[in-house]
Amino acid sequence: MRKLFPVLLILALALVLGACAQQPSPAQPAQEPAAGVPAEQPAEQVAAPAGVRVLRASFAWPTNIDPAMGSDFSSATALANLYDTLVFPNPDGSVKPWLAESWESSDDGLTWTFHLRSGVKFHDGSDLTASDVVYSMERLRTVGEGFAYLFTDVVESVSAPDDSTVVFNLSQPSGLFLPSLIRLYVLNEDLVRANTKAEGSYGENGDYGQEFLQTNDAGSGPYQVAEFPLEEYLLMERFEDWWGEFAPNAPDQFRMIAATEPATIRTLMSNQELDISDQWQPIESLEALQQIDGVKVAAFSNLTGFYFMLNNQLAPLDDLHCRRAVSYGFDYDTAVSLEWPGTTAMVGPVPKALGGHNPDVMTYPYDPDKAREELAQCQYADSIQDYPIQFVWISEVPDEEKFALLFQANMADIGIPVEIVSMPWLSVVENTSKLETSPHLVSIYVSSDLPEAGPLLKQRYHSSTAATWSQNEWLMDPELDAAIDDSLATVDQAERFAKYRAIQADLAERAPSVFVYDQVEKHAYQSYLDWPAAQGTVIPVMGYNLWAPAIGVNR
Amino acid sequence: MQTAIFIARRAAHSVVVLLGLSVVIFVISRILPGDPARIAAGARAPDWVVENLREQMHLNDPLPVQYVFWLGDAVQGNFGLSLVTRRNVAQDIREFFPATFELALYAGVIMAVLGIGLGAIAARHKDSWIDNLMRVISYLGVVTPSFVWAIIFLLIFGFTLGWLPTLGRLSEGVPTPPRITGLYTVDALLTGRVDVFWDALKHIVSPALALAMGSMAQQARITRAAMADNLAKDYIAAMRALGVPERLVMNKFLLKPSLIPTVSILGLDFAATMSNAFLVELIFNWPGISRYGINAMLRKDLNAIAAVILVLGVVFIVANILVDMAVAALDPRIRLSAARGE
Repeated sequence: MRKLFPVLLILALALVLGACAQQPSPAQPAQEPAAGVPAEQPAEQVAAPAGVRVLRASFAWPTNIDPAMGSDFSSATALANLYDTLVFPNPDGSVKPWLAESWESSDDGLTWTFHLRSGVKFHDGSDLTASDVVYSMERLRTVGEGFAYLFTDVVESVSAPDDSTVVFNLSQPSGLFLPSLIRLYVLNEDLVRANTKAEGSYGENGDYGQEFLQTNDAGSGPYQVAEFPLEEYLLMERFEDWWGEFAPNAPDQFRMIAATEPATIRTLMSNQELDISDQWQPIESLEALQQIDGVKVAAFSNLTGFYFMLNNQLAPLDDLHCRRAVSYGFDYDTAVSLEWPGTTAMVGPVPKALGGHNPDVMTYPYDPDKAREELAQCQYADSIQDYPIQFVWISEVPDEEKFALLFQANMADIGIPVEIVSMPWLSVVENTSKLETSPHLVSIYVSSDLPEAGPLLKQRYHSSTAATWSQNEWLMDPELDAAIDDSLATVDQAERFAKYRAIQADLAERAPSVFVYDQVEKHAYQSYLDWPAAQGTVIPVMGYNLWAPAIGVNR
Repeated sequence: MQTAIFIARRAAHSVVVLLGLSVVIFVISRILPGDPARIAAGARAPDWVVENLREQMHLNDPLPVQYVFWLGDAVQGNFGLSLVTRRNVAQDIREFFPATFELALYAGVIMAVLGIGLGAIAARHKDSWIDNLMRVISYLGVVTPSFVWAIIFLLIFGFTLGWLPTLGRLSEGVPTPPRITGLYTVDALLTGRVDVFWDALKHIVSPALALAMGSMAQQARITRAAMADNLAKDYIAAMRALGVPERLVMNKFLLKPSLIPTVSILGLDFAATMSNAFLVELIFNWPGISRYGINAMLRKDLNAIAAVILVLGVVFIVANILVDMAVAALDPRIRLSAARGE
C-alpha cells in the first residue's frame, strides 16, 4: 500500500496536468501509415484543419446508407446528402428538375421519358449516365427494401436508349410516379459492380454491393462518406465537383452523431459540440435546452401523424363499437397539451398539411358518455374485463409513455382495462410483421414519404403494408385496397385528391385507429446556423430539412 | 514448469466449457422467435431473396447439422455475416472488442487501486468515523447503477465543470493511432503520440469511473472485512509481540492474505464489466462490443449474438485462469497443494 501511494499521487497529478495541457494539434493532414503497418488497416482519421466548417447533428441510429435499404429518418437524411435524384422536392410539395432537366409522359401515362443534364460526376470522378439510373432502379426493386415499395407495383421496366435518356415503362398510370422519384437515389453502377461480392442472395448479382454500400457511398451528391464507424457517427465531407450550388457558408463536413440520450445532448449543445439535436428529445429536455445561451428550438410540421394503431383483428378491437368507444373515450386536448406548442389534434386518418386532406370527415371528440354508449353496443361489453387492451409504446421515445398513461386513465374511466408495455423499436418491427404477434395497440409516429395523402393512406391501411411497422391495423380489405390503388393511379391531381377525400371519409367511419395529433418536428439548434427550416422554409419530405448544402454555419 | 502444467490443465478444461457454452448459445439463438432470414432480408423483400438467404444460412437443415456447420466456421474465426451490417461478424468484433477491453481495463485498475486502498484504510481505522464514512460510500457505490454514475459524471465533468469530454474515444480531428493493440491509449504511447494519449485518456476517465464505482465499493468492503478478520488472528499478535513495525505488519503480513477474496472477485468483476458496459457505452457513445451485442440481440442478429457471447465467454474463462494463478501466487498453501496434485 505504501508503495502504491506515490504511484497514485503521480497518476492523479498526471491527470490534472493532462487536463490543463494544450489540445492536441489538429492541423496535421492525413498521415501516411507507419512502416510495417499491415495494409488492411483502416485509413487514419483525417484531421480537420482549422477553419473547417462542420455541421454536427444527432440522430437515432442505426443509419443505413444503402439506397435500397435505408428508409428511416437518419438514413433518409444521409441518402439525401450523399446521392442525387432525378427530381428534387420543393417546399410546396411539388418537384423541380434535378438530375433530369426535363421529362415527358405518353398520353396513357404509361411511358415516362427523362432527359438528364450533362457533366454530372460521381464522387470517384466518373460520369453519371442513363445506365446508372437504370441500374439503380433495378437494384432498388430487386433488393426490395427501403423506399422500393414506391416502385414495386408501378414500374414494369426501365431502359436507357442513350447516355442521357431514361425511359420508364409503368404497369399502370400513376399520379405519384413523378414525386416518388425523389427516393430513387442514383448509384454509380461501375463502382458498385466492382465491389460486389460473388456470394450473395441475388443470383448473378451476388450481394448486389450490400457489404460495400454499408460503409461507402456510390453517389454523385453534394457530400461523400469520409468516415463511417458504424455505431458512432457518419462523417461526410463536401464534394467540391458537385454540379449544384452550395449556400455561402454551407459546411465542409457534416457529422451525423449516434446519440439521443438527453444528458449527453444537453452537454454537447452547451459546449457547442452539437449544432442540431435529434427530434426525439423529451419536452423537459427541450425546455432545458432552450435555456442554454444561443440555443433555440425550431418546431415545424413534418407531415407526421401520431397514431394509436388498433389491431382490427384482435378482440375487443375487432368490433367497430369497441373501436369507436376507444376513440370517443380518449382525451385529445390533454394529449395535445402534453406536446410542444404548435401541435394540433389530427382530423381524420392523415395530417392536415398533406395534399388532398379531407377536413369534413367524422371525428371522435372526447366524450366519455358517448364512449360508454358505444361500448354498450360492443359484443364484448359484458366481458370486457377479459379483454385487456395491451398498449405498446416504443422504448426509444420516452415521451410516448405519457400518452400510454393518459390512455389507460381515460379507458379506466369508461371501464376498459389497459396494460402498458414498453417495447424496443426493433421488437415492434418484428412483432408487427405477423398477425399472431401483433399487439392490440401500438403508439407510433408515421411520416408520409410524399407530401400528399395517398402514399400515407397506402402505407397505413393497404394490405400490402399490413406486415410492416407502419400498419398494425391488419385491415386486409380488398375494396379499400382497390380504392387506394385507383386513387394513386389517377394522374390528374384534382381528381386524385377527390378520391383521397372519399377514402378518408370511409376510414374515419371505421375508426381503425385513434388519430391523435399532427406532429411538429422539434429540434434544438444553435443560433449561429442559417437553417432554412428554422426560418420557415420547410421541405415536407423526410430528411430534406437537414440537407446540408442549404444550411449556413456561421462560426 | 508447474505453471505450464497448471495452464495446460486449465486450458483443457476450458475447451470443454466453451464447447458446452457453444451448444447453449446455438440452441438459444435458434429457438428465439422470428425468422432470421426474413429479419435479415427485411419485411418487404421478395420471397425468393428470403429463400436464398435461408439456403445460405443452412436454416432448412436439421438443427444438429446447422450446429456442425456453425461450429466448423466458428473455430476458424468465421462467425458469418452480421444480418444488420452485412459485414463479417469477426470484423465487427475485431473493431469493437478493443474499445470495451480498454474501458474494462481502466475500470479494473480503478476498482483494484481505489477499492483495495479504501478497504485497507477502513480496516486500519476500524470502527472509527473513517470506517463509517467508507461504509456509507461503499453502500452508495453498490446500490447505484453504473448508468446513473455515468450520467452524474457526464453532467459534473462534462457539463458543469467542462473538464472532460462527453462523446466517443477521441476528440474530433484527433487522428486515430495506428492499430497495434486496438487500445488507443496503449497504441498512442507505443507510437510516440503523447497528445493522442492524453486525449484518449481524457475520454476514458468518465466511463471507466462510472463502470468501476459499484465493484470498487464492493472490493473495499471485502478487503476491509478480510483484513478485519485476519487482524484478530494469532499470528498478527505474535508479529506485534516480536516487535515487527506496525507498517510492515499491515502492509505485508495482513494485506497479502486479505487480498485473496478481493482478487477472486476482481477477476470476475473485470469480466462482468465487459458485458455489462452497454448502458455506459450508450451514454458516452462508446463504440464497444457490449453495445454491439445488445443491439445484435434487439435486432435478432443471430450470428453476431452467438459470436459476442462466445467471445465474452472466453474472456470469463481467461479471467478465471488468471485469478487462479494470482491466488496461487498469493497463498503458498494453494500453490503447494496444487504442486502435490491435491
